[in-house]
Amino acid sequence: MSNIKLKIDEQEYSAEQGQTILEVAEDNGIEIPTMCHNGRISQTTSCFVCVVKNKETGQFMPSCSTRVDDGMEIEVESDDVFEMRQSALNLLLSEHIGDCEAPCTIACPAHAQVEEYIREGKNGNFTKALEIIKRKIPLPMSIGRVCPRFCEQDCRRNVVDEGQPVAINDFKRLAADKEFDNYLEDLPELQDSKVAVVGGGPAGISAAYYLRREGIRSDIYEKMPKAGGMLQYGIPKFRLPKHFVDKEIQHFDKMGGVDIFTNQELGKDIQLEQLKKDYDAVVLAVGSWKPGSMYAEGEELADGGIKWLENVARNDFSAENPGKTIVVGGGNTAMDCVRTAVRLGSDEVYCYYRRTEKQMPAEQIEIDEAKEEGVQFKFLSQPTKVRKENGQLIVTFKKMELGEKDASGRRRPIPIEGSEYDVKADTVIAAIGQKTIAPEGSKTNKWGDIEINEENGYMADNVFAAGDCVTGPATVVEAVAAGRNAALGIEAFLRGEEYEKPYEINVSRGHWQSLSKDDLVYLKELTDRKREKLEYIPLEKRKNSFEEITHTFTEEAIAREGERCLECSCTDKHDCKLKDYSEQYLAGPEAITGEKRVYEADTRHPDIIIDRNKCIKCGTCVKVCKEVVNESLLDFRERGFDTNITTAFGEQLPLSCADCGECIKECPVGALDWRNKERAR
Amino acid sequence: MIKRIKVGTASCGIAAGADEVYDYLSKNVTDHDVVEVGCIGHCYAEPLVEVETEDRSYFFENVEPTEEDLKNILDVGEEKRLTFRKERKDKELLKVSRLAGRIVPTSLQEYKENGGYQALEKALEMDPDNVVEEVKNSGLRGRGGGGFPTGIKWGLLAAKEDETKILICNADEGDPGAFMDKSLMECVPHQVMEGMLIAAHATGASEVFIYVRAEYPRAIEHLTTAIDQIIENKINVLNGKEIGIQVKEGAGAFVCGEETAMIHSLEGKRGMPRFRPPYPTDDGYKGHPTVINNVESYANVPVIISEGADEYSKVGTEGSKGTKLFALAGDLEYTGIVEVPMGITIGEIVYDIGGAEKGSVKAVQIGGPSGGCIPAKHFDTPVDYDSLNSLGAIMGSGGLIVIGNNRCMVETARYFLDFTARESCGKCTFCRVGNMRLLETLERITKGNGTQADIDLLEDLGPKIVDGSLCGLGQTAPNPVLSTLRFFKDEYKAHVEDKVCPALVCNDLVEIEIDHDTCIECMACVKTCPVDAISDDIEVDVDTCTRCNSCIEVCPVDAISRIPLRGE
Repeated sequence: MSNIKLKIDEQEYSAEQGQTILEVAEDNGIEIPTMCHNGRISQTTSCFVCVVKNKETGQFMPSCSTRVDDGMEIEVESDDVFEMRQSALNLLLSEHIGDCEAPCTIACPAHAQVEEYIREGKNGNFTKALEIIKRKIPLPMSIGRVCPRFCEQDCRRNVVDEGQPVAINDFKRLAADKEFDNYLEDLPELQDSKVAVVGGGPAGISAAYYLRREGIRSDIYEKMPKAGGMLQYGIPKFRLPKHFVDKEIQHFDKMGGVDIFTNQELGKDIQLEQLKKDYDAVVLAVGSWKPGSMYAEGEELADGGIKWLENVARNDFSAENPGKTIVVGGGNTAMDCVRTAVRLGSDEVYCYYRRTEKQMPAEQIEIDEAKEEGVQFKFLSQPTKVRKENGQLIVTFKKMELGEKDASGRRRPIPIEGSEYDVKADTVIAAIGQKTIAPEGSKTNKWGDIEINEENGYMADNVFAAGDCVTGPATVVEAVAAGRNAALGIEAFLRGEEYEKPYEINVSRGHWQSLSKDDLVYLKELTDRKREKLEYIPLEKRKNSFEEITHTFTEEAIAREGERCLECSCTDKHDCKLKDYSEQYLAGPEAITGEKRVYEADTRHPDIIIDRNKCIKCGTCVKVCKEVVNESLLDFRERGFDTNITTAFGEQLPLSCADCGECIKECPVGALDWRNKERAR
Repeated sequence: MIKRIKVGTASCGIAAGADEVYDYLSKNVTDHDVVEVGCIGHCYAEPLVEVETEDRSYFFENVEPTEEDLKNILDVGEEKRLTFRKERKDKELLKVSRLAGRIVPTSLQEYKENGGYQALEKALEMDPDNVVEEVKNSGLRGRGGGGFPTGIKWGLLAAKEDETKILICNADEGDPGAFMDKSLMECVPHQVMEGMLIAAHATGASEVFIYVRAEYPRAIEHLTTAIDQIIENKINVLNGKEIGIQVKEGAGAFVCGEETAMIHSLEGKRGMPRFRPPYPTDDGYKGHPTVINNVESYANVPVIISEGADEYSKVGTEGSKGTKLFALAGDLEYTGIVEVPMGITIGEIVYDIGGAEKGSVKAVQIGGPSGGCIPAKHFDTPVDYDSLNSLGAIMGSGGLIVIGNNRCMVETARYFLDFTARESCGKCTFCRVGNMRLLETLERITKGNGTQADIDLLEDLGPKIVDGSLCGLGQTAPNPVLSTLRFFKDEYKAHVEDKVCPALVCNDLVEIEIDHDTCIECMACVKTCPVDAISDDIEVDVDTCTRCNSCIEVCPVDAISRIPLRGE
């Protein structure tokens, strides 16, 4: 064996005659990506992701198969090589069909690992489920109750049972109710740096929580007597009992490193400029609390929805009967107002909305529950005037009709001239949205919300911002996602770096509405189980008290519900070379597009799934079976773009394959895998 | 005085009706022998009959099995007498195909009478090394397309000490429009075998395979007969050493023409190329040292040994020696097979030999589907390996398709790519997926849905497929696209920017127009239209019309034409 010399990216290395470029690179700690190279089998030389460039000839060569020569000069990391690898990956992605991540996780603003915590919940491992949930959702008891469930809207179960997605949020609720007290995160030691969080609502709590998980201390400044923000003062306790919120906030005591200072209002009790000096970084999470205008004459006679709810909450939900109540607006705050009015004793509660029920931004379940509780809805009516005559409030409404769609995609309400009518009321509440009051010294956009770098929550100087004060009124789950993002931004900022969200790809089979039952791949037999129903307390009790209206699912119900999950995400998502390298080389499924070949997944074997839609045709499985296992149960068929893998004579793989699994182990993607996802990992 | 009558019944002749002519003549000619021979290369003239007299031969073209034609032939009449055009005669140089169409292919005796197997005898008297040296000195380069010096390959095999050494004849001629190898096997099978046996002697090979595509039944039949005769007459016993000979029929995968894929196929595996090195001379059929040469390369060998390397290498250019067979097809007058000296220009082949009218030709596609288009302005390019490479084409196996002005270059590229994309073995990412994406892009452009981004994609992806594929198929598949982009970009631009097919070929960009001033209202078009797209008042419904051209063909006054699609 003669020693030969070669140059890789200008650096000289010595190698043995007969070695491949890839081997030499590996020996010297130089990383070359490859999908199809596998030391256990003879070369396949198929993927061409491992290409390098011969500097002298300008030729690209697969490094897995090209043997080194004396005096060779090779480029491994040049732009040309990068682009060539990227193109190879783009081409592989252009024929790849599957779901890297389940649609529920993609739909969740916090990208919670839904499928994983459902599996743990189904199996009764609630601590593990909670641990997974809290990686992305720090307030699982609250969100487990009030989340509008973006995940469920995109749940693929809808393909099988339309309108009955898996009851995903109830897994969070049960896991948190059962195990919240018993679970404490693995926490790193606290560092010296410290962050000021202005606002103790979901965004602020989330920022402080994830900063703590990074080992960074924080002080939360809350203007109200209690932290929790909208969870504490906005959402009424029949939907979210306050002891849950308190518990979630008190969790900081267990974690340590986070102090909460209440009754501290920015601009009054504390000043931004001072916080910037006193702390290494500041997070603005002040929410969006200023009531919006009805643009009606005399509207000051009406209460603002959020303000009204806040007052009720501050008095521990024991306010006076508001009498005949008119709530104007169609969102969740309006629903909270009408239902609170019912509980305060009013037997005449009306919701007035300028469009129709179909356009209401409130969740359908809230509307339905309000109707059950006796709330009456009046649609296509907009207030033009509020006045008081002899101590009696009178609201003048104008009738509306729906016109063309507006920017939000909803049909625009148009006033009908001369259609005014008067309605008497004791209480009038305007629940028509809120606006942000941006703190002095913050950067704002045209809506008056704080402007940040969305990658990392950064505003200016050492100030970050998150939550409703950035987005305008939104959901709790969006606020916690933003809070976590700001925490990651600050963590990098304190190290002197700028946080960028990692480039991630997601191949998707598509939204459930575009899919049929045959388009899905089922890892297990499809059960025809219907969605478990939430249990309600009796209606009379709902109307007369602020008791929480639903019961948390039982463990049995959760186990049944978990069976409904189709486990959409790829069996190989944690170990897929195509995904990993595509992200490394900035390749994506949309870069080059074209026809794809669709194959039916082969699930004839009880333990093994062959999903040729994901296959990259490298033939590793064929060679592993032949050369390592000494069988010939797999081979190629067809030619050109139709080339694919087949079992011997198209028959089912023998049952004994379950004891081998060598092909599964070596498949660089998820084309060959165990049907049991725990085994697949 | 007529000696005998020969009917060309190679597959080109049969396709034109030579079987019927042969049957008719055999039945009705009693005084003379009627025999089946191969093809002399003038395929346009099939069925072709040669009347051999004492002193010369007379050829008759497009013969029909009729009394009239029979009488004319027996009288050696003027009717249908084929005169060989001087332009072609002057340019052609028949050496390798000298006997093609002139002798009965399956007659060992006739081959021998015409000098057959004398080269083998001569070689057997030579030291094997000297035979290799002679082939090296001849300058013969692989006729299959690669152009690797044959003698050097042989030398590598000869140097191997192994007991089992393999020779393979690559007869998997798969290019659409190429039929030189088929013709040689059908017409002079013994010459191909003689070349192989000389190679076996020179290299010390113990076994030879002929890998021939199953779509060539007549070639297989003639080869098998020739091999039986060889074995019967112990011609395959070379200085006491018996050489095993086998014919292997390929199942029709184009990629099996690639040498490593061919070896896999011979071994009973899926025909998929592998990375080289190791080359077959080091690790070939079942691990034995192996050399693969093309049919035409082998057919050259007896010529080289007979006349000597010095004489042989007088023909040709600096880097390309000898003659080359080309299969002429496409938009020209005289299709068929020609043998020309290396260095002749493309123009001489197309215009002088092929009889194409000057100005009527836009380009030639040379080297099969994986070759490239060479525009008419470069027709003074000499035909040799290196000149063609410099223009982005390849010699290939010798398919030469003439593309007339009436053809669309985008559609032509799409047509060739459609073939290669289907024939990819599927192994390399760039070839399997990349060619499909190129094809889809070309389809978008020909359908009028293309954008500048599509042209950019072709230019970006094409070279990457060339660079990122293991074997010749992938490395050359984008050639038709890249060479048409290079020389005919204006046509691509017209499709994309103006939504116009300048050649009026792409149906989605064309409509049918009837010139009512010329029209005589004969209603022929109305009656002919298969989809009733022409109304009784002779107006074409653009949406119904399929642009099948039936109306144009049937119009007696040429009042109907294809025009660019008019927008809304």
